[in-house]
Amino acid sequence: MTHEEHHGEAGERSQEAAIVLPGPTFWPLVIAFGITLLLAGIVTHWAVGVVGLIVTFRAAVGWWHNVIPIEEHEEVPIDPELRPAPIQVEQRSVVRLRAGESGHRVRIPERIHPYSSGLWGGLAGGVAMAAIACLYGLVAQHSIWYPINLLAGVVIPGMGDQTVEQLRHFQMLPFFAALIGHGIISILVGIVYAVILPMFPKYAPFWAGILMPLFWSGLVATTLSVINPVMNERINWPWFVVAQLGFGLVGGYFIARSTSIRTMQTWTLAERAFVEAPGLHQPDEGKHG
Amino acid sequence: MASIDYPLEHPKAEALTPEFSFSESLYKWVATVDHKRLGLMYVVSALVFLVIAGIMASVIRMQLAFPLNHVVGPDTFNRLFTMHGTTMVFLVGMPMVAGFSVYLIPLMIGTRDMAFPRLNAFGFWIFLLGGCLLYFSYIGGGGLSGDGSAPDVGWFAYAPLTEKAFSRGAATDYWALGVLLSGVGSIVTALNVIATTFCMRCPGMTLSRMPMFVWVMLIDAWLVLVALPPLSAAQIMLELDRHLGANFFDTQAGGSAVLWQHLFWIFGHPEVYILIFPAFAILSEVIPVFSRKPLFGRPAMVGAVTAIGFISLGVWAHHMFAIGMTSWSNTFFAASSMLVGVPTGIKIFNWTATMYGGKLRMQTPLLFCIAFLLQFLVAGLTGIMLAVAPFDWQLHDSYFVVAHFHFTLVGGLVFGLFAGMYYWFPKVSGKMLDEKLGKWHFWLFCIGFNMTFLTLHFAGFLGMPRRIYTYYPGRGWDAINLIASLGVIPQAAGILCFVWNIIRSSLRGIPAGDDPWDAWTLEWATTSPPPEYNFEKLPVVRSSRPLWDLKHPQDPDWKYE
Ligand SMILES: [Cu+2]
Repeated sequence: MTHEEHHGEAGERSQEAAIVLPGPTFWPLVIAFGITLLLAGIVTHWAVGVVGLIVTFRAAVGWWHNVIPIEEHEEVPIDPELRPAPIQVEQRSVVRLRAGESGHRVRIPERIHPYSSGLWGGLAGGVAMAAIACLYGLVAQHSIWYPINLLAGVVIPGMGDQTVEQLRHFQMLPFFAALIGHGIISILVGIVYAVILPMFPKYAPFWAGILMPLFWSGLVATTLSVINPVMNERINWPWFVVAQLGFGLVGGYFIARSTSIRTMQTWTLAERAFVEAPGLHQPDEGKHG
Repeated sequence: MASIDYPLEHPKAEALTPEFSFSESLYKWVATVDHKRLGLMYVVSALVFLVIAGIMASVIRMQLAFPLNHVVGPDTFNRLFTMHGTTMVFLVGMPMVAGFSVYLIPLMIGTRDMAFPRLNAFGFWIFLLGGCLLYFSYIGGGGLSGDGSAPDVGWFAYAPLTEKAFSRGAATDYWALGVLLSGVGSIVTALNVIATTFCMRCPGMTLSRMPMFVWVMLIDAWLVLVALPPLSAAQIMLELDRHLGANFFDTQAGGSAVLWQHLFWIFGHPEVYILIFPAFAILSEVIPVFSRKPLFGRPAMVGAVTAIGFISLGVWAHHMFAIGMTSWSNTFFAASSMLVGVPTGIKIFNWTATMYGGKLRMQTPLLFCIAFLLQFLVAGLTGIMLAVAPFDWQLHDSYFVVAHFHFTLVGGLVFGLFAGMYYWFPKVSGKMLDEKLGKWHFWLFCIGFNMTFLTLHFAGFLGMPRRIYTYYPGRGWDAINLIASLGVIPQAAGILCFVWNIIRSSLRGIPAGDDPWDAWTLEWATTSPPPEYNFEKLPVVRSSRPLWDLKHPQDPDWKYE
């Protein structure tokens, strides 16, 4: 028996007549039974345990004789009936996908919007949202200050005690509180939009412009009673959702129309190491955006 | 390298496998050391225990279907949930781990048997006899004083409740000894799996080319080896307490009331991963084959499984937030528990990425895998919720916990096992399982499972404690419990489809051929069912998909790996 005879391709046939395998033995079963009786003796009767001990010992001797002095084997004849069919070579050829090939994205996302577009988009969306909110104030309460004062209720205690008449008037502190809060949140949300926009496989403007504002509205709807009870009591939900959509559409538009830039992962190692050498850099659009 | 060009037509030799009489074939089974026969016996015994435990669960749900119901009394109810849980974990989950491992690993790594074939047989028999001893408690559990029958202390059998003073009769002893024996079987099988994967791989099968199934089951075996001995030790300590007057858990004699909990959960949490790993292993084989793509991120998958293995050893006390630990302990165990979510997330993403862009074959094995992904995700998220200690204080010991771990072990493990059975049944039996019955099985079981266990999350939120045998009407639990109980009907119908499918297909199913799924691992290179020696010549491999290499000689994997 040569080494060659024992090893081959998967499914390959042997010239041997039989293969040597460990022989069958019932001593493992008997020893397991003995040990079980031994332990069962604890909960039944000591005599059961004694029987278990004897059975275990006898089985151990039997098991030793399976392997000492030489391990027992049996020769299993190779049954030609049980031969596997030869493995067929697949007729169709395989086309390997090459990174970057027609429509295949190398990494996700391959291109991104610059953070600056998120900043400006967020501000633009914030302006649109504020405009819709003020329009609501004009229509519902004949005052553009009403929604601003309500928003300030997030940070300024005591806004809840004011009458509707007071809420209609301009107040300096609530105005700046609302302006700063609204501005910061608009910018942050805009940046989040810009970061995740390229991750959506399709219909990115739809996700950014419509679905995300709806999710955002839902989030606010469930938490508003905690973060701004004043606003929660007086809010007009249809107007609120429209204002959110205004933010999403305007902000999403601003971000989507910005020039996207290649992510750093798509650069070569030399480029990432900022090695300057002629011919290394592709004449590509601004990748350092 | 030898060639594979040999004549297709070989002289029709006489069948060398003779017909056996009944006693001869019985001897063939009880004296066997063949890993395939043992693996099959593991899985069949586990299925029998699954049906028994399922019937117990159905009785539990019948009792809870209506408030103040009287299907069973409180004592019987306690025994039912104890035996249901113990059976599912130790007599269904563990033998499934062992059965899938010992059947498939030698085939997948291209060898003829396990490293220790006789130890393999011993592992199976001691598991089976341990299970029998546990069930013998229904007859012998009364002990000399005649109190009680089967164990009624819950599957985690908290001491000091299990001490002689509180658990009279012999029921608790049967629990400890029966589980101890089956644990011995698990430990020796784990040793065997480790030795086999490290020493018996065919030429060319480096660790990096080893099938993902074998990788996961190897880590699983390590976990068994580390986690089970603490349980065995605790059970021996309990028996010492009960019979020889040791006082490990007896608080009045200076013992500790939480020592058992620590020892049990040092075993118990890794056990959850020991049980879910076979599903991970199965998904890692089924999803690529049914998506016609190699597994996405193989090295990351190996890393993630290894990380889960390590982290799961350090999270056990998240089961004990309610006992009043220091806030440092609470913080540590909450944080470490959440950490498990990271590698688990990697795995879920990688399976999804394997399917993404693939040519999906929507057959029963893949359906079970998809349901696994969704349900296991829910289980993972509720797990992270429960890892938040203050949240856990609210919902500890409520039906939310019950729903969470049934999503892990049924929505995860059992669905994964079904995927594996539909996938490998053709290899094991040589016959295909019926696809139509398989789809019925899947949809009935999936709908029924979610009817029962999605709803039970809400029972937990509404404050329903686990393990109560009945409840008063008007607490908001009535409709939820009725829906949960009605969910048993489709589940049972699904299981009936499965059992009928197995019986019918074994008798007159469509012949499967050697490689019905056009798969890539070595077990598909041999006959279905495989001959006793597995392979005439031990295969030589050059990549992680040896059959792909043979089927595509122009474009083999080893050029790229
Ligand atoms: Cu846990």
